[in-house]
Amino acid sequence: MQGLIDTWVDVQSWILETAVHPLLFRFGYMTFFEDAPFVVETLMLGVVQIAVILLVFRPLERLAPAEHWPDRKLARVDVVYTLLSKLGLLPFIVFVVLYPVNDWLQESVRDYDLMLPTVEQVVPWLRDKPLLLFATYFLLYDLAGYLLHRMQHAVPWWWALHSLHHSQRQVTCWSDDRNHVLDDVLASFYFAVVALLIGVQPSQYVALLLVSRLVESFSHANVRFGFGRVLDKLVVDPWFHRTHHARASASKPHIHDSNFGAVLPVWDLLFGTAVYDYKRRPTGVDSRDADADNGKGWLGQQVAVLGRLGRAIIASFRPRRLAHPAE
Amino acid sequence: MSSFSPRQCLAVVSVILGAALAVPAMASPPQLAIVLNSDEGSLSIVDRQSMKEVDKRPIGREPHHLMLTPDGKELIIGSTATNELTFLDPVTGEMRRRLRNILDPYQLGFSPDGKWFVTAAYRMNHVDIYEAGEFRLVKRLPLHSLPSHMAFTRDNKQVLVTMQGSNQLVAIDLATQEVAWTADVGEAPAGVYAMPDGRRVLIGLTGEDAVAVLDLEQKRVIKWVVTGRGAHNIFRMPGDETRVLVTNRVDGSISLFDTTKLEVIDTIRAPGGPDDLDFTPDGKQIWVTQRWRRRVMAIDLATRQIVATVNVGRSPHGIYINGPGTVSRSMSPPPEAADPRTAQTPPKASFLPQILAPLAPLLR
Ligand SMILES: [Zn+2]
Ligand SMILES: [Zn+2]
Repeated sequence: MQGLIDTWVDVQSWILETAVHPLLFRFGYMTFFEDAPFVVETLMLGVVQIAVILLVFRPLERLAPAEHWPDRKLARVDVVYTLLSKLGLLPFIVFVVLYPVNDWLQESVRDYDLMLPTVEQVVPWLRDKPLLLFATYFLLYDLAGYLLHRMQHAVPWWWALHSLHHSQRQVTCWSDDRNHVLDDVLASFYFAVVALLIGVQPSQYVALLLVSRLVESFSHANVRFGFGRVLDKLVVDPWFHRTHHARASASKPHIHDSNFGAVLPVWDLLFGTAVYDYKRRPTGVDSRDADADNGKGWLGQQVAVLGRLGRAIIASFRPRRLAHPAE
Repeated sequence: MSSFSPRQCLAVVSVILGAALAVPAMASPPQLAIVLNSDEGSLSIVDRQSMKEVDKRPIGREPHHLMLTPDGKELIIGSTATNELTFLDPVTGEMRRRLRNILDPYQLGFSPDGKWFVTAAYRMNHVDIYEAGEFRLVKRLPLHSLPSHMAFTRDNKQVLVTMQGSNQLVAIDLATQEVAWTADVGEAPAGVYAMPDGRRVLIGLTGEDAVAVLDLEQKRVIKWVVTGRGAHNIFRMPGDETRVLVTNRVDGSISLFDTTKLEVIDTIRAPGGPDDLDFTPDGKQIWVTQRWRRRVMAIDLATRQIVATVNVGRSPHGIYINGPGTVSRSMSPPPEAADPRTAQTPPKASFLPQILAPLAPLLR
């Protein structure tokens, strides 16, 4: 284990010392010097995740697919999302959002002679128990993810963004990162505030990120097996999340308003949104507008979703006219 | 454990016992290094004989620096994200007490006369001045941006704080607790060291490859001395006012710097972005934190070689080596009168007008 950590740290140090730091120095961005290791590590985690997708999840999809498609043309764009998100966008957003939000919030609060409460102050007996503290972080973080996801479905303009994630008719292990850039920014902002409030430390954030992102990627995999009827109540599996991606039908018009959990199904069980019926359904959305995402490239989808967002915002300002189109 | 000698086993056991039971009087105190793992909210206790981390203990989040109280009886750690100071036994590293509501105590310092305790809040952009005995906040000075290191003038009148974000040195009068003056010093100033002559200070310019020499009367930089890329912190050699060590974080080196001639005598290879360091009591070794390598390294000052590296936690920053005869070396020099023997004639003033200061690295 120590050997593995040593190798990891050596690779990270090599990237930092041979490329990142000299560049930061050369171009006068030394104020980002201290943050660079975290960004590089997030990037390295992205590489690990992509490797796991390629070497584990993809072979499993070939071995036991849930849905058989003549080709994977529609799935291909999600690879772009994954690469962008895991190798560029995500580390960048974490970088530009997480740190400044943290500092700005604390400084603003200070100016009113206030102090943000820390976990250590709210629950002092937790402070000397790092493992328990981490478990608490994980639970709270996942709960925050559940609540965010419910808002993405409930708030019309947010659904306009999130519908991109659902419009995919070929959901695969690449689909987890299929989100609008704006949605990514909002989510990053939200998670930054949550992480700040519950006091996640960089070391824990890295572990949190790796575990949750891998579970989420796998829960999108096009495989016809799950974790079994006991374990699938503890960890989100492909069966569980595939139900969330199910295309609404006349008999089940709100099937996608279930199974919101990212890593832990406990929140769905608790709030009554869990569906465990193990039925195989086609994935996608029953909106022609959003369904038109299929076949578009990355840029085309980003632009199309902006249009949907605009229409949703305008609609929210004219609730009466929409309610009574005859007027 | 089989590779340990009985003596090392004993040392390890005594350290653990000492921590757990607080054995009142140990025959010989363990030889330890206390390292703050700033990204995981813990401190590592390293045994200097076995060269191994023997314990890791949780502490407030984002601990960055640590220093001895002026009486040498307690070791103070600033946990910047939990806004608290933790006081340790400086011999065993055992925790004694916590002081809450100290906002973002990133850099810590006692004025040489022991009257004031000053903290620089790097993330929250302020400098707090506390009355040292009771740690009662006397004044908060919001200062943009990134106040990072400090030094006290030898006459006890001012505290000098480097502003890593706005490329300045800010002088604060301790009597009035107001900003006395501000000087532009160069890119990303970090470590600052008040020279024994009482007239000049050295400033490590992390955004450049040099140490700036600032004249306190003229309140401007009069000279730059190239040390290495990412010049950062400055440490006085124990018992020797004529030499300091400058850590160069981008180059991965440490410059041995002559404060009388204002020149680099030698450069020691120190990979891994050397940050803080401390000296062993015999003065023969320095122990240096390697932030992103998650290690500390011991360097022999005579041979200039790395004699050991020890795995610790994530982002090790502040480091402290326990006694005997330990003085607080992590920042400003300990209280003592300026030694007249080391007073020097000022160097020839630079021909560069101040407005060209940011261009200094190009013009050199
Ligand atoms: Zn959804
Ligand atoms: Zn999904």
